[in-house]
Amino acid sequence: MTVAQETRELRNPGLPGGEEFDTLIYGSPPLAYPAALSQYVIYNAPDPAYITGRINVSAFANLGAATPWPFTNTNVPLNGHICIPRGRGPFPLAVFAHGNHSPFENSTPGYLYLCQLLASHGIIAATIDVNFLNGSNFGENDARAIVHLEHLKQFRNWNNTSGHPLHGKVDLNRILIVGHSRGGEAVGHASFFNRLAAIGPVVLDGSAGLGPYRFGLSAAAAIAPTDRQFVPATGPTVVPDSYFIIHGSKDSDVFTFEGYHTYERAHAVDLANPTVSDGKFKAMLWVHKANHNQFNSVWAPETAPGVAMPRPSQEQIAKVHLGALALAVLLDRHEYFAVLHDHAVATAWDPAGTELVSQYQDPQRIFVQHNQEGLGPLVVSLPVQGTIAADGVVATRQLTALVGGAATTTITARLAWNAAGSRLLLQVDPATLPAERYKVLALRVGQSNEAANTANRDQDFTLEVSSGSRTAVFPASSLHRLLFPDPPPFGPAKIVMQTLRLPVARLVECGVDPSDLRAIALVFDRRQTGVVYTGDLQFTN
Amino acid sequence: MPLPEPPKVAAVEVIAAQPTETDRAAVAHMGATEPKAVYVVKVKLKAKPPVTSMAWALYVNDELVSKYWEYADGIYFTVSDPQFFTRHRGKQLRFSQNGTDFFDTGVKLAPAPSVVENGAIGLPLQADVLK
Repeated sequence: MTVAQETRELRNPGLPGGEEFDTLIYGSPPLAYPAALSQYVIYNAPDPAYITGRINVSAFANLGAATPWPFTNTNVPLNGHICIPRGRGPFPLAVFAHGNHSPFENSTPGYLYLCQLLASHGIIAATIDVNFLNGSNFGENDARAIVHLEHLKQFRNWNNTSGHPLHGKVDLNRILIVGHSRGGEAVGHASFFNRLAAIGPVVLDGSAGLGPYRFGLSAAAAIAPTDRQFVPATGPTVVPDSYFIIHGSKDSDVFTFEGYHTYERAHAVDLANPTVSDGKFKAMLWVHKANHNQFNSVWAPETAPGVAMPRPSQEQIAKVHLGALALAVLLDRHEYFAVLHDHAVATAWDPAGTELVSQYQDPQRIFVQHNQEGLGPLVVSLPVQGTIAADGVVATRQLTALVGGAATTTITARLAWNAAGSRLLLQVDPATLPAERYKVLALRVGQSNEAANTANRDQDFTLEVSSGSRTAVFPASSLHRLLFPDPPPFGPAKIVMQTLRLPVARLVECGVDPSDLRAIALVFDRRQTGVVYTGDLQFTN
Repeated sequence: MPLPEPPKVAAVEVIAAQPTETDRAAVAHMGATEPKAVYVVKVKLKAKPPVTSMAWALYVNDELVSKYWEYADGIYFTVSDPQFFTRHRGKQLRFSQNGTDFFDTGVKLAPAPSVVENGAIGLPLQADVLK
């Protein structure tokens, strides 16, 4: 099915659905908020059925002593806003958390526009108050994760309480956690903590108030997240659930693409068992001209006027793509995975002229080349066997972070050429590559802003795939644009690779037998010079 | 736009305070003996940076301060192991956003005040130290 056909058969997930819903507040009154914190007084008047308790986060965080909170870190409130579809349910649950911002401005309502969208599609959606962790603090993202999980626990308690309006209405096996900024880092930690019995001295069995968790998390989604501000004792968090990330090129807060590192660590190849998959997907959306703050509807833009796209456009993109994610993973509308596979499916729904880059890795995949064996010459990755030959291409592996910021642990290949017709040829033993079991040949590739690439011009090359005497030829540009990097607000431009997905069915149409696949070549015949970076080449679904 | 600049430090002060229950639990989990005091390291800033999600990680010499918090005049962190001050005696406080590029503050870690045996009883509460 072509992208155009897929789009025609899907309804825009960013438009409201047909479900009616109610919006209400939950909270832990009474709290004597001083005048400087008057924006939080709304949580002193929750719906009477939605009065919550307090939790003790003192093992994880202090509260900023410069903000006059009317509580301490041993009894922080569980405050939030919920949009609840009318009807019997059970309904899936999505819970949003904000990031760091002035604690004197309530960041919580900033995702109501997304909660309302999801509720209209039949999803209970909440946005939670984590403002008491905001300020000039550092390293508190484990506490943000705990607060997020404790809110999920509150929903489980309501679901299990006979007579409560939410009794039996929450589908606890279909939960999406979404976080923005430091809250985006925290959803990764929450995904990790969700499976733990204890964190250091803190037992998560409920005996000391926190936990137990072990929720059925369908996915964790991060909007412009930070990374590694909190690092568990076991090392940087590897998100164990399916993972989605969205980040803007004009982000002037998290101005290095920090979440890219989280994305790379998640569901990475296991060198000892390269064919083993943990059954989870990951997807990325890089949005040219989006900034940091406009994903939250109450935060003023951090960019100067005219630098970023208008706020309504940025919110529309968030609605379309987070909407597609939610419909796919929470409502079993699997057809919306097409938007995660390829953002072009959503072209008609995104603001006109929006430039996007996307990546997707399916749980079903076999790597032909993943580059993680080391910094030596490029090789075909085991268990696939074969050789790689470069003709006119300087092919090197490198550990440089493509997106700025902290050092990376993921190796990419840099391919540079100075004459049209240069090629990189992978020859494989067809007996070791069961390509016929998969639907798609996927290649992650992106161009840099190095001098060999023409500024503001898409890069292009030809992909050749051969079996026996039959060769199919596809311009990369027929699969997707390879955008020139958008100038960043600070520092070097980010090189964000695009996943090119070539359907195996198209190979078959061209006479290529996927059960006898012998060669894949990147032929650099469409630009005289250039530099591209490749992540991995895989057969996948 | 220029890259954000690290905060400028005006002074560092170390104050011995009473351990909290959380401090005691954390120390016990590490298998160490109960601390006589917890040291509150107050880093007074000339101006607080804007509240953003990107953060300036604080290092003492090459050791990352894993968590710090805001108080009226700057940021503070707590130390339960007095050896921390021995290890980093006279060493610089530094800021970094990526763990690779460091900015010296020009300010060195102050020594820990001595705490007499059973002195915790006479020490101030951490909350009072931050007022």
